[in-house]
Amino acid sequence: MLSRIADSIYWMSRYLERAGDTARLMEINLLYLLEAEEDMSEGDKWRPLLSITSAEAAFSGLYGEGQLTQGRVLQFMTAEKSNGNSIRTCLRLARENARIARDRISREMWEAINELWLNVDQQLKTPLHPLRASQFFSFVRGEVARFHGLTTTTMMRGEAFGFYRLGTFLEQADMTARILDVKYHLLLPDLSLVGSALDYYQWAALLKSLSGYEAFRRKYHAGFRPMDVVEFTIFEQEFPRSLAYTVKRMRRALADTGITGQQRSPAAMERLEGMLAGNSAERIFSTGLHEFLEEFLAAIAALNQAAQADFLDTHREEP
Amino acid sequence: MAAIPSDTSQKPRISYHEFYTDGFTPREHYRPLWEHIQSVGQNAFEAKVHESQLALHAEGVTFTVYGDSDEGIERIWPFDLIPRIIPAGEWSVIESGLKQRVRALNLFLKDIYHDQRILKDGVVPAELIYQGKDFRREIMGIDPPHDIYTHISGIDIIRDEDGKYLVLEDNLRTPSGVSYMIENRVIERRILPEFFAKYRVRRVEHYPALLLEALRAVSPRGTGQAEIVVLTPGIYNSAYFEHTFLAKEMGVELAEGRDLVAKDDVVYLKTTTGLQRVDVIYRRVDDDFLDPLVFRSDSALGVAGIINAWRAGNIAIVNAPGNGIADDKAVYPYVPDIIRYYLAEAPILHNVPTYQMTNPEERAYVLDNLERMVVKAVSESGGYGMLMGPASTPALRKEFAAKVQEDPRNYIAQPVVQLSRHICYMDGELEARHLDLRPFIIYGDDINVVPGGLTRVALTKGSLVVNSSQGGGSKDTWVLAE
Repeated sequence: MLSRIADSIYWMSRYLERAGDTARLMEINLLYLLEAEEDMSEGDKWRPLLSITSAEAAFSGLYGEGQLTQGRVLQFMTAEKSNGNSIRTCLRLARENARIARDRISREMWEAINELWLNVDQQLKTPLHPLRASQFFSFVRGEVARFHGLTTTTMMRGEAFGFYRLGTFLEQADMTARILDVKYHLLLPDLSLVGSALDYYQWAALLKSLSGYEAFRRKYHAGFRPMDVVEFTIFEQEFPRSLAYTVKRMRRALADTGITGQQRSPAAMERLEGMLAGNSAERIFSTGLHEFLEEFLAAIAALNQAAQADFLDTHREEP
Repeated sequence: MAAIPSDTSQKPRISYHEFYTDGFTPREHYRPLWEHIQSVGQNAFEAKVHESQLALHAEGVTFTVYGDSDEGIERIWPFDLIPRIIPAGEWSVIESGLKQRVRALNLFLKDIYHDQRILKDGVVPAELIYQGKDFRREIMGIDPPHDIYTHISGIDIIRDEDGKYLVLEDNLRTPSGVSYMIENRVIERRILPEFFAKYRVRRVEHYPALLLEALRAVSPRGTGQAEIVVLTPGIYNSAYFEHTFLAKEMGVELAEGRDLVAKDDVVYLKTTTGLQRVDVIYRRVDDDFLDPLVFRSDSALGVAGIINAWRAGNIAIVNAPGNGIADDKAVYPYVPDIIRYYLAEAPILHNVPTYQMTNPEERAYVLDNLERMVVKAVSESGGYGMLMGPASTPALRKEFAAKVQEDPRNYIAQPVVQLSRHICYMDGELEARHLDLRPFIIYGDDINVVPGGLTRVALTKGSLVVNSSQGGGSKDTWVLAE
């Protein structure tokens, strides 16, 4: 298939997944803050979200320092056109990429992504009211999931499907590592809260941000032990958003794309796998979780670059 | 026990209004809510009612009403959007009263199934216990893990005409409603987040986490090895939604009796990879059906041999079998004495005055004044087997009088308490309806009460019957932070 099309399918799925993940993240944050008993400033409640999506600099560039309010973060993360990671931007780019790859994706996929974009664009023409925001996020999340379902049931298997899956899983791995890094960093220092209701809500929020709350509860019955959360989100083979699971699926997707050992991405893939194989939650704790996650995110970025080089740069070199 | 009033011609008193002080002025803690409701406008509110119903439909929040058909009728959980608000000060009294009551009732159960000191000391009449349908001789002398019988209680509380909180009844067997308490909060927050902006509402959604902790705490093999199951009678049970909800929230298996087997006094779950040992059973099956070898032999809902496994100390059954004797309505009048006896404390929450039909004088008074009485069969629940005096017909009163005379032990009577009222949104109007409150108490390593409970509403105008099986509704219940 054409490199350009492969690239579009890859980015279509990454942007779409990013919009869905961001919506889930915003929704969980919003709902958990509604009845917050603890005294936190608005800034403290919302800063982590900017940090997860690496949007702090862009945000303060737009609004200036110290202007962190719920209303602004909502606007910035949902509708802001200058924010490359706002839900609106992600969906616009996902739809554009889908249009490019229109002949390689199923009609159902196209219609779903097109309608989603039209609907969201319409809804965001007026500022999203904070009290209606959770419904908006839930809608986006649901539509993204519907798109994945339609893709699974209607898209031909083969190279294109491989790119779609590579993009989806790479984006998921990236998001899981980011959420874990930022949230864990916030949660861990305050040992006095371990076992408190607050502690319960914070950990629950982290896991719900990854749609992993129920699965975690089923597997671990000793409350929210930090070691268990790390074990679950990084190494759990059966949890679809764990790093281990997503990396394994990326490997398969990469094989489906037809990229060969002659190219750059298999080596990048091996580096990523090497970070998990033979590793353990205990070892990560002893060397530093933050350090591990930073390295992991760098390895994902490297794989992204390598894969794109493999299927896109070749195309650019063509006459 | 109730004193017989000397003046029997007194007029019925007016119920306490939770929301207004005088019919126009909202109470202090309702003022922000009231101002907000006024500003919403009817169309917007109507839309929210619609939205909440769609959400309940989509989520499948239902309960089953037993009817003529074997399958029952599945209904969407009836929910009123206007929350009930309980100030922090009031709650702290309720909370300490509930803890005290549960602690005493637990000691009572242990005593009744062991030394029976309270009977020997003549504080509770021995025949009252021995005649109780829910007294289980089969479990005398069994020591449940940590001596806990009442792991989960739902204690119904009402407010009398003066606004005083009173205990209406204790539910110590398989009290239900906690999932609706949580769903009410989820829906309320989704549909009317703006209400929350005005208050600091205490959270209730960690209830399943507390429950799981309590279940783990009573595992005979220690918390490190606590395989827990929720035992349900199955999809036709009225509270099946709740059973699935709790199992899912706690991340444990939802089993039916046929999924379990007892061998050599150990209980196992039948899994695809073989038998897996079970340590704690949160059973939502009544005593009668729990073990066909011990109780009803025709039961297909339970597990043969489960009681022996319990006796051998290999399994925790939550709540303990035999609890029904402590929430028997004939024992209820003695609960204040039970609290004084075991704890040497004055009861914090009071009972509704209650006439005992075994007392000839009280019985005569009640039979003469049936139209102003609530008569209850002692071992029925859910609003069944009840006479609501003011709403009754002469024929029905005659029928109940005969029943009472025939079997006085099986009935108690209470003067009609005008349950407090609260505004509800009914077809575009705000109308007052009577309500009660069922908070949930968890007894594990510690006794915990989640701040809130299930507020049940009598949806029919003037009705005092709030049970969902009798057409009652519900409200989100807010306990305010200090």
